[in-house]
Order: sequence, then C-alpha cells, then structure tokens
Amino acid sequence: MPQPATPAPSAVRQAFGWMVRLQSGAADARTQRAFAQWRNADPEHERAWQRAQEVGQALRADFGALPQGAGGASFEALQAGAQRLSRRRLLAKLSVGAAVVGPVAWLTGELAPWQRLAADYSTAKGERRSFTLADGSTLALNTDSAVQLRFDGTQRLLVLTRGEIALLSGVDTASAIKRPLRVQTRDGLLEALGTQFVVRLDADDSLLSVEEGAVAMQPALAAAGAERGVARAGTVYRLSRSEAVPADTGGLDPTGWTDGALVIRDMRLGDFLAELGRYRSGHIGCDPRAAELRLSGVYRLDDTERLLAVLPSVLPVRIDYRTRFWVQVSMR
Amino acid sequence: MSALPPPASFAPAVESLYLAHHGWLQMWLRKKLANAADAADIAHDTFVRVLASRHRTRIAEPRAFLTTIAKGLVIDSWRRQEIERAYREALALQPEQLAPSPETQLLIVETLARIDRLLDGLKPKVRTAFLLAQIEELPYAEIAQRMGVTVRSIERYVAEALYHCHLVLAD
Repeated sequence: MPQPATPAPSAVRQAFGWMVRLQSGAADARTQRAFAQWRNADPEHERAWQRAQEVGQALRADFGALPQGAGGASFEALQAGAQRLSRRRLLAKLSVGAAVVGPVAWLTGELAPWQRLAADYSTAKGERRSFTLADGSTLALNTDSAVQLRFDGTQRLLVLTRGEIALLSGVDTASAIKRPLRVQTRDGLLEALGTQFVVRLDADDSLLSVEEGAVAMQPALAAAGAERGVARAGTVYRLSRSEAVPADTGGLDPTGWTDGALVIRDMRLGDFLAELGRYRSGHIGCDPRAAELRLSGVYRLDDTERLLAVLPSVLPVRIDYRTRFWVQVSMR
Repeated sequence: MSALPPPASFAPAVESLYLAHHGWLQMWLRKKLANAADAADIAHDTFVRVLASRHRTRIAEPRAFLTTIAKGLVIDSWRRQEIERAYREALALQPEQLAPSPETQLLIVETLARIDRLLDGLKPKVRTAFLLAQIEELPYAEIAQRMGVTVRSIERYVAEALYHCHLVLAD
C-alpha cells in the first residue's frame, strides 16, 4: 500500500544521501550544519528525512536480528545465495512449458588469486560443482568431468579433458582488453560470442548446445583460414575433428543437469539408462525390447537409486539387482 | 490430492475466485513443480496472498493474476532453500562452538530470506557494499579498500540500496 503522503523521490534520495554521509564517521560540524540547513529548507525534506529514518529502523529490525559472532555466515549466505540461480533465471524457467525442479546444492567455490592462474577443476562420478571464475564467468561441471583453466593476457581458455561443462560467460571487467572466452576439446575449438552454452565430450565427438547467444566452432582439422561455423541459441551441434554438423540430443534437455535433473521428452529408455550410467558407478543392463520404450519427465539426479526404482511405475519393466553394482532392466 | 476448503473469512470476491480457479491453479503448479504437495501448498498460499493484498477491484485476467503471484511464491521458496543451504555451508566452515542453536538458525534463515527478497534486483556491487556495511558493520573506508573503489562510491552504493529498500518497503 502506498503511504498516505509519500515524499517526492528526489527528496528521499537526498535524505538517504545525508543519512549515509552522517553515518560515515567522517561527518564534521560543517556537514552537520549543512544537513540541518537542508532539512529546514523545505517541509518536503523533513518528510523525506522521516521516511529515511523509518526505512533505517525497518532495516535495523532485520539486520539487528542477525548474530554478531556468526555475522560471517550471514554475509556468506546472502552473497553465495545471490550468485546461484537468480530470480530472473528462475522466473524464465517457470515460464517455459516443461516442468522444472528446484535448485540443487551447488558447491560454489571462489578461488584465491594464486589458484586462478592454472587451476584444474574436476568432479567425481555423481558429483556436480559450480564455480565463479576470476573473469566473472560461471563454470559448472557435470558428473565425472575435468577442465583446465588457461587464462592469460590474450584469451580465457578452458580445456575440457573429460565429461561436460556449462559456461555462462562473464563480462571480464578485470581485463583491459576484451579477451575471447574459448573452450578447447580433443575435437576442436569453441569460442563464445557473449553467451551461455554446454559442451560435452563424448567417446567419438563433442556435443555443443547453445542456450543463449552464439558460439563459433572450429574443428581441429579445419584449414587455417576456413570460415568458422556459428551455432545459434537453441541449436545443438556435433563437433568432430573434421566438421561440425547439426545434431539432436535424442530428447534430452542439454542444460537439465545444471538444475540437478535429467529433463527428457520422448527419450528411448536405452538412451536414458546410458545417460543415467554417467551419474552412478556400476553397470546398467537393458534388454533390447525394453530399450525401445519411450519416457518423458523430470528426474532428479540426487538419488539415482530411487530414480531407477520408480521406472516400473511408469513403464512395463522390471528392475533386478544382481549385485549392488549390476542392475538389469527387462520387460515385465 | 483433495483441495483445501477456502478459509471461512474469505471475502465474496476472493471466494468466487477461489471456487473458479483454485483447482486449475493447483493443476498448473503440478505441471510446473512435479511435486503435488508443494503445488497444493503454493496454491493455498496464493489465495492467502490475494486476501492479504486487499485487492478488492474486479480482476480482469484472474488466471494471469494468480499465476503471477504463484510464480513469485515458488521462487521465494526456492530462494529460501538456496539461502538456507548457503548458510549451513558457511556455518560448517566455522568453529562448532560458534554455531547458534537450531531454533536460532531457523530464525536467522527466515531473516536472511527476507533480506534476500528485499535486496532482489540490486546490482552486485551495490548489494555487496550494502551487506558489508549492514551485516559486517565495516566502516566505509574499509569496504572501499576491500572492493577497490573510492569511499565516495561506497556512499553512493549504500544510498542507492537504501533507496531501493524504501521503494520495496513502500509497496
């Protein structure tokens, strides 16, 4: 509800300006006098000052409730919380057609300066981690992945040696010149053109999915002066050493894992189980008939055992555990 | 999942809104959330919010109106989870004897979530400067040094954050 007599915005801004100056500890007698003058100059100023005091009090009620000793934890929580999924991004997810799941636990690591130069990041099977890099980019590693950072004066290069990463490129304000952001894999070089994208290193090729912006693609064996293909937002490409060709993901949302879920639409069960196998140890077998069944939905990755256990309720299949690490899926 | 009955105190306009759209809203949320219990809670909270908003005029697009509120509530609950997780992670890095009691921790998380909502939309630098001033109670000169900007900039950031809070609190 608007207040009965909300003071003019410009007066309120000025009032907060004074509040800050008076609190800054360097407020001398001259500042005090100037403030008194301002306050008396106009009834609107007095009203604005009263409003500023109200806001100050409301804030003290909240901030004062936080313990001093553990103040560090409160600050960290609010900072880290803000760096994770933003409200804007959450709203975007809620506004698309597919079902979504809540955010998952990311381990957000801020690196010390000496670690930034030649850092290696990796995850174990079933683990996912996310980092804010020195240039402001966000790097997320999916299960069983490894990446090396080679940032220097001319480029921001990430070398993907195993698994899958999602990158949200930062503005790189720390650097005087605009350094390109690149991802190198065995198959070639990808360059961000202001963007958000996922790169996955498969056995035979690299899979690129662009969520926002665009990415330039350069296969490893392309001739030096050859024109680079550009992948636009919403497209998926397979990059081999010799060429980049449009591809599809067989019903898998390529960015689902960054929200901790397998998001699939009409995917073959065989492909789904192969995908699931990336997140857990052991073998998942599937008989050929069952492999052709189709599946849709959002499956959380934090408990892959439970995820397997629900399959018989959505498909006519049976799950047999031969050992803890050997699972067989067959028609019922 | 049976629908909760409308609270007895519902004003007639809200009651007809409830009867006409509660079931639809809950279905809409179920499709979004893949969790029936959350969908039921948020559908209910949406109407509680409508009631509290003293919105008495006729609503031209009731479903758009309801989904806007519901989306806000879903995001609030996700953000709260994120804040709680971040808070527990931060606590885990501190000596155990400094950790507040579980009850106090819960109150702190509530407060942090409220602050997070209040500060939503601030630029990162403004937010950081403001939090360092309000939570850590650092002098502006020290914040300026930490962030590598002038004291004057910090004063501007803090004033901007305060003005933002004024706008949100007045809403």
